Amino acid sequence: MPQDYDKDVYPEPARQTPVVDKQTTLPNPALILSKLFYYSVDLPVTTFRGIIEGIQGDKKSHYYHQNFRRVSELTECQEGDYVCYYEAEMQWRRDYKVDQEIVKVIQERLRACQQREGPSYTQNCSKELQQFNEVSKGFQSRYGDLGAYASSRKCLMKQKERMMAEAQNA
Amino acid sequence: MVGMSVLRSAAAFTARLNPLKRPHLASNLLSRNVARMEQVAVRHGSHGKSMFIIKPTDFYDRRFLHLLRYYILLTGIPVAALLTFVNVFVGEAELAEAPEGYEPEHWEYYKHPITRWIARTLYDSPVKDYEKMMALIQMETEKSVMRLQQLEVRKHMRENGDGPWFQVETLDKNLIDHSPKSSPDN
Repeated sequence: MPQDYDKDVYPEPARQTPVVDKQTTLPNPALILSKLFYYSVDLPVTTFRGIIEGIQGDKKSHYYHQNFRRVSELTECQEGDYVCYYEAEMQWRRDYKVDQEIVKVIQERLRACQQREGPSYTQNCSKELQQFNEVSKGFQSRYGDLGAYASSRKCLMKQKERMMAEAQNA
Repeated sequence: MVGMSVLRSAAAFTARLNPLKRPHLASNLLSRNVARMEQVAVRHGSHGKSMFIIKPTDFYDRRFLHLLRYYILLTGIPVAALLTFVNVFVGEAELAEAPEGYEPEHWEYYKHPITRWIARTLYDSPVKDYEKMMALIQMETEKSVMRLQQLEVRKHMRENGDGPWFQVETLDKNLIDHSPKSSPDN
């Protein structure tokens, strides 16, 4: 399948699979199953894909990532300047989506790490665990209970409440 | 000789007596002449014996399923053919870095060729939609500002009374007859 993203920018976590140290003469069922899967599913699908790409030729079209310019935020808008409000709102929505994707990436990393390490994941993936805790705590404090009708204004009010609570605690 | 004929007639009698096999005439039972029942090879034109099977009608069910298949496939087959040809012969786009100084067209941000076609032919670019929305907001802002200003102006004009609004037309001064007012206690 064609790759969708640049693997240098978003690297997959390093494999930590141990070296195979076989001490029995019994066949490894995992190996058998993986070979079975390879010959029955992977190889036909890959050859089919190769045929299709041969038909398509080399006239490839491309698609790009869209980069948005930064505009002034809600705090920098004059009162009553609804156009500025709109632009700030759109920017906040894009940032909200980006933050959701960031959380998903961190979750995926932790899931992959747990799958690799097995029962001893609490000890071996402490870095991923700590990263996940930080990111989800930050996400919760910023976008936590805003709900389905979240807007930049509500987020700003939530931040104000947070700052007031902090000022009161201090 | 006689025993043989008795046996033969008894055999013929028992053969004749089977009611399931043949319709018997009353005269036939006691006569010595028995109609010969032989196995005849019957040849059908079809494969095996044709049966008249009695079952409830499946006309309506079969008609429904036929029409269902017909109407689904009427547009289903062209759509499936179109999708197959697009996916096999045109193919999806690949992600690439935008070259320096090149601003991609708004349809070049999508992967599938049909999505790209829809974005190119049927939809406005998202930049244009954004600008349209901002134009609407600007017009509404101006309207709301003007309305607030009008209310403010009304308030001031009513209070001070020296503006063009809230002026009541009165009679012309020259029409007033001052003659009864010149001498009091007339």
